[in-house]
Amino acid sequence: MDDNARSQPQAHAAIVADGLQKSFRSRTGTVDAVRGVDLAVEAGTIFGLLGPNGAGKTTTLRMLTTLLPIDGGRAEVAGVDVARAPREVRRRIGYVGQAGGADLGATGRENLLLQARLHGLAASDIHDRVTELVDLFELAELIDRPARTYSGGQRRRLEIALGLIHRPSVLFLDEPTAGLDPQTRASLWDHVRALRSGGTTIVVVTHYLDEADQLCDTIAIVDRGTVVTEGRPHELKAALARDTVIVQPRLGPEEVAELRDHLARAVPSTTAVVDGDVVRLAVDDGTATLPAVVEFLRREHVPIDGISLAGASLDDVFLAHTGRSLRDPDPTGSARR
Amino acid sequence: MSTFASQTWWLLQRKLLESWRAPAWIVVALSTPLLYLALFGPLLNSIVGAPGFPPGSSALDIFVPGVLVIVAFGAGMGAGWTVITELDTGVLERLRVTPASRLALLLGPVLRDVVTFVVPAIVVTIAAQPFGYHPDATGTAVLLVLLSLLTIVVSAWSNALSMLLKDIGSLASIVTGLQLPLTLLSGVLLPLEIGPTWMRVLAHANPLYYAVNAARDLAQGSILTTDTGIAFAVVGALAAMTLTWATRVYRSAVA
Ligand SMILES: Nc1ncnc2c1ncn2[C@@H]1O[C@H](COP(=O)(O)OP(=O)(O)OP(=O)(O)O)[C@@H](O)[C@H]1O
Ligand SMILES: [Mg+2]
Repeated sequence: MDDNARSQPQAHAAIVADGLQKSFRSRTGTVDAVRGVDLAVEAGTIFGLLGPNGAGKTTTLRMLTTLLPIDGGRAEVAGVDVARAPREVRRRIGYVGQAGGADLGATGRENLLLQARLHGLAASDIHDRVTELVDLFELAELIDRPARTYSGGQRRRLEIALGLIHRPSVLFLDEPTAGLDPQTRASLWDHVRALRSGGTTIVVVTHYLDEADQLCDTIAIVDRGTVVTEGRPHELKAALARDTVIVQPRLGPEEVAELRDHLARAVPSTTAVVDGDVVRLAVDDGTATLPAVVEFLRREHVPIDGISLAGASLDDVFLAHTGRSLRDPDPTGSARR
Repeated sequence: MSTFASQTWWLLQRKLLESWRAPAWIVVALSTPLLYLALFGPLLNSIVGAPGFPPGSSALDIFVPGVLVIVAFGAGMGAGWTVITELDTGVLERLRVTPASRLALLLGPVLRDVVTFVVPAIVVTIAAQPFGYHPDATGTAVLLVLLSLLTIVVSAWSNALSMLLKDIGSLASIVTGLQLPLTLLSGVLLPLEIGPTWMRVLAHANPLYYAVNAARDLAQGSILTTDTGIAFAVVGALAAMTLTWATRVYRSAVA
């Protein structure tokens, strides 16, 4: 971001963050959870924050939503400076945290009523707004039951309704679809897209590549407290200019590893990795390389169950920018000083 | 109603509903004072009249006001447990992202604790009368106000402490570690006047000591005494301090 943008955020930016930092001190040392995160989120878009466990996604969201004091840098949300006017920010945003936030002993309706009142909705408006959200999220049958009795998906729907009660212009969702079945996830995505059509800006934290790919207009990949890359999903994949050749041999684990070594030498590939019982070759031009791979396998009489060619995935993007696969657990844990 | 007052009321209502739905607390809240009265009170009968005991009063006249102090203290201590559950379920985080006043967020649970002190306190006051407790009506009203302030101090402190500690284990050890010495050094069980000088000196560092002295005066109907004045000054100042501190914790908690 250039200096001009830094001092004068564009009118259409719903979120601008400059060099956000946060460290936590604990008995075992200092954890630099967020180490200079820059963000610019266009109003009316869905923005995805993607990254492995402990990358600093939740911490970033907590700073943007006024829950944590900002150690360094600055942020503006919905046109308001987060550190200077937290209460104004709270009026304009909705937040559904990773832990959810429904009061489980209370009924869904009691949860919604209290949230509406704390947001200062007019008494005459509250009832209509609650009914509207109950209908939208199909909660009518359970709304007068304690939230403790809801299924995971039902509870999520209530929690998102809680975040939306005051019609916020920016909505933050921290892993909204974790643990949901595919159907419920898809329906949640539809809700989120409908919100975007209504002009709401949505920030979604997720671990799911397909979610980032299909739902988000823009994604930022966060790793160890910084944004390692940012862009539209298809641009990120295109920028990689890379394909993957996937070879599925009919071999035991040790032989697969051996095959990986042979393939890496025989074929001009960037990386060759064993992923379960398949070997994945990252190559610059798949259509040009595939015949060479097939020729090698035929010559060496390697028994094959399948061979395929795939364009770059977001996982490849992640791998290229961080040197790790998003699907693997972070081997080093969090960044510690 | 101002925004602040109505926010406080809605947040208190949430907590009262919670207590209403889990009425077991009333049994717990009543068991401590009633056990003290039943299993410790009778021991006092034989030593009434010893030095340190005001002349002309029954054992219960001295003992019940002190037990009410213990009830007030206990009503606030438990606040931290709910805070930790609500940190885990994200409820507090959700409430903190609303524009609601931070003080109102704190007062909801704190005032609930006041209610859960006042209700058993009234029950104990009434139940002890057939057994020889003769409280003054006005004095008792002032006493309930003083002890409600004490509950506010303890509850606000317990709320904020658990926001900072975030785990049940550390909270439990601090709370139970404090409860016994504060009780023993308050003169609730026996007047400290019969103890050695060092105990009486040490007791002056214990807010409960002032509350117990004032509680005995108030129950007898001596409202405008030095002890009462000191107790209101000490507990009132502590209430202002803990509420200020706890509100600051709610504002910026690393929760
Ligand atoms: N309150 C805290 N005290 C100490 N360390 C913390 C605290 N909150 C977060 N951290 C540490 O900061 C780092 C970033 O945590 P954060 O919750 O932001 O990760 P995340 O990207 O949301 O991960 P996940 O995908 O697992 O939710 C982690 O190493 C975490 O242990
Ligand atoms: Mg997280």
